[in-house]
Amino acid sequence: MKFNRHHLLAALILFPFFINAQTKISGKISDTNNSPLPGANIYIKDTYDGVTSKEDGSFSFRTNEKGEVILVASFVGYKKYENKISLKKGEMKIDIILEEEITQMNAVVVSAGSFEASDEKKGVILKPLDVVTTGATADLYTSLNTLPGAQKIGETEGLFVRGGSAVESKTIIDEMIVQKPFSSSVPDLPSRGRFSPMLFKGTVFSTGGYSAQYGQALSSALILKSQDMPTQTISAINLMVFGLGGAHTQLWENTAVSVEAGYYNLNPYNNVFKQRVDWNKSPVGVSGSASFRQKVTKNGLLKAFVSYSKSELSLYLPDLDNLPNKTFYGLEPENYYSNVSYRDIVGDWNLFGGFSYSLDKDRINAAGNSIAQDQRLVQSKFTMNKKITESSYLTVGAEIQNTLYDDKFNQLNVKMTEVYTAGFVESDIYFTNDLAAKIGIRAEHSGILDKYNVAPRISFAYRLGNYDQFNFAYGKFYQTPEKNYLIQYDKFDYENADHYIANYQYLGEGQTFRIELYYKQYHNLVKGTIYNYPYFNLPIVPFSNNGTGYAKGVDVFWRDGSSFRNCDYWISYSYLDTKREFSNYPTTAFPTFASPHTFSVVFKRWFDPISAFVALTYIHASGRPYFNPNNSEFLGDRTNSYNNLSMNVSFLAKWFGSYSVIFFSVDNLLGFANVYGYRYSTDGKISNPVLPPTLRSVFLGLFISIGETNQYQ
Amino acid sequence: MKNLIAALLFILCFTNFVHADDTKYIDAMKKNIEQMNSMKSVEDMVDLTNAFLRIGNAEKTKWLPFYYASYIYIITSFSDTVKSKKDSYLDEAVKVLAIADSLQPNESEIYVLKGLISQARLQIDPMSRYMKYGQEMNSNFGKAIELDPKNPRPEYLMGMTLYYTPEQFGGGLKTAKPVFENSLKKFNEFVPKDEIMPAWGKTQLESFLKQITNQEK
Repeated sequence: MKFNRHHLLAALILFPFFINAQTKISGKISDTNNSPLPGANIYIKDTYDGVTSKEDGSFSFRTNEKGEVILVASFVGYKKYENKISLKKGEMKIDIILEEEITQMNAVVVSAGSFEASDEKKGVILKPLDVVTTGATADLYTSLNTLPGAQKIGETEGLFVRGGSAVESKTIIDEMIVQKPFSSSVPDLPSRGRFSPMLFKGTVFSTGGYSAQYGQALSSALILKSQDMPTQTISAINLMVFGLGGAHTQLWENTAVSVEAGYYNLNPYNNVFKQRVDWNKSPVGVSGSASFRQKVTKNGLLKAFVSYSKSELSLYLPDLDNLPNKTFYGLEPENYYSNVSYRDIVGDWNLFGGFSYSLDKDRINAAGNSIAQDQRLVQSKFTMNKKITESSYLTVGAEIQNTLYDDKFNQLNVKMTEVYTAGFVESDIYFTNDLAAKIGIRAEHSGILDKYNVAPRISFAYRLGNYDQFNFAYGKFYQTPEKNYLIQYDKFDYENADHYIANYQYLGEGQTFRIELYYKQYHNLVKGTIYNYPYFNLPIVPFSNNGTGYAKGVDVFWRDGSSFRNCDYWISYSYLDTKREFSNYPTTAFPTFASPHTFSVVFKRWFDPISAFVALTYIHASGRPYFNPNNSEFLGDRTNSYNNLSMNVSFLAKWFGSYSVIFFSVDNLLGFANVYGYRYSTDGKISNPVLPPTLRSVFLGLFISIGETNQYQ
Repeated sequence: MKNLIAALLFILCFTNFVHADDTKYIDAMKKNIEQMNSMKSVEDMVDLTNAFLRIGNAEKTKWLPFYYASYIYIITSFSDTVKSKKDSYLDEAVKVLAIADSLQPNESEIYVLKGLISQARLQIDPMSRYMKYGQEMNSNFGKAIELDPKNPRPEYLMGMTLYYTPEQFGGGLKTAKPVFENSLKKFNEFVPKDEIMPAWGKTQLESFLKQITNQEK
């Protein structure tokens, strides 16, 4: 056949068919454990030719490409595979193995010792909403009392964790310690937390073994992260049985300002509900706060927060040595708090810098004695975080705190200054996606003790399956003794504790189970008599660091939000065995702030037809020791067990275009006769029970949001 | 003559080449878009997402393949019954949509998907996510309308959310109906720029409206 132009033309037109000498590529794709990977995308780079792998990992596709090409395989969670191949006519068999990509997204979360509430992260047990809707008081600390590890102590505020006293727990807001998370209280009447749970987007409640980024807490750290940019311009009016308040948030493109103010007066309320407290002046107070948010760069956010509160109350306490005489006790706390922080990403570094200032003033009139206690804290902290290798992150940081104590007792005046500095290095290492470690070390120096300490912290997490994991943690924790000791004696050393924690956790679809075993060994606890109240007639204990103690036990938690429609409940149980010798304890004893058994159930249900959210909280705590001077065994008496069922109901309504919440709560609904302990006269002949201020307490509030846009219009 | 033929052939081949390339893209896209109607399982969805991603990765400058890949990821998130997987599909949807967004900034259709992602996130845990994602969804749909007031899809999706919101929160059929009607009007007037531009929503809305009018009776 002669080859003419027409043939050429035909050849050119048919050209594509001539080169359609196809190659068929087939094979199997699997991970390094030889498990097939279905759903992977296998294709030739820069072409449309490719296919998705099947259930058994097999794949097969045809391509018209020729010569050298790059075969790509990609699958979420695995490193991208690229391989240069030379296409041959016919069939090619290529098996592909993908290596798992170790990322924080895929990796196990190290979570020994902690409960986290957050919307943003995975592996959390609580949601921020849970914090607000648990217990009768919408108080952060009340809801933490329903988690295992926390002790139910009714007569004083604070977090008592695993046999630790309240001073062994620290509250941290935006990386910095809060000097006084509660306003001061009078004996046997606890105060509420000073900060609204609504201020925070994330809460980590660590009952032990927490990170090297924090220090100065022997038992527990409550780590709070404040809200970022608010989402809308909105005003709110709050009307409560004993007060009122208002708030406004104004939002601009990159800036937001919020202000809030409130006033409360418990006098009318205390006149209606029978009080067991002999009030001279029921609590009256004002509070206000303002916050500012500025988006500075794409990732840079500047936050500032200031708050102020002042209150006043006075009452008569029975004078057990001279009945029916009474002792006058008046208290005027005044608290300023402010912090400024900035977070940004610069190059590969995540940077944080913060500054905070607190001034807490208490004016006390105790039986005609004038007591003034001022405490001022200035602190600054910065941290830097960087990915250093493909599977490890490094965080370094430092902080400095300057505290000024100024105490006056009538004419006497004591001043004391503490300069505390600390630095830490911490590394998050992902050996595989299933095995991760957090290893850190913290060094501290206290000016007042003039001593250094170095504290290692280490925790591991090992994932067993899709939903469950083991955690292990060890850490050393140091704490400077409390001011009341430091002003009496100048040769103290740090108190310290070792934590050992092992836990198993199952985080399933709507169900969570967690069991944690712990052992805490205290060393160098401060001993010495500073007040003999309420332990009269005990020998004076000299000052030293010779105190010791231990706490061990098991915490169990079960949460189920999926088995019953619209219902969510959780159950906590803590077993605690602890003994310590500290303060003016003449011997080793089970302390007054610990219960061997604590059990709680929280049940929440949403009622759609009436738009109401109902939460019931039941807490049972076995009896705690109290001091009875007539018993030769120190703290040998135990109270009856504590029981409390509280309920809160939130009705949501829309009136005149504004959303409102009616919040109603009753504490101790069933009227259990709880006794927290007993106070004795000096001679031991007269005793008085320590009781809650009322048998039941009731709260009713109306919260109106104005200007909230319809979420969907 | 020879030169002329050569020149003609050259021109023919060249134009053919360019044309063929675009046809190949349009054809491949059309085929995949058509297949979107017959997706039955999560496996089908993954398969089709991968196909769109192959086109997108090869073309490099076209935003629509990434747009559709993101859209199917969102549908997969809605369809998968394993709750913990829902968020990870949306994470992928966000990643892929960011590529589309960088190739075609200020595109109304991309903001529709951004809003749909917020809507999907919200649905996973409405009680605690409503604050964050409800707001985010509104601002995305708002932006989509602002960029193209004729786009019927933002209102269609907003109407769906309204319909499933309890009346006491400002939702329900009564509030949703005018939004649906407005969207339907826009759907009837809407002419996609070309055959591969997004055109979804109309049939879904029509059958949904039929369903709820039946319920009313």
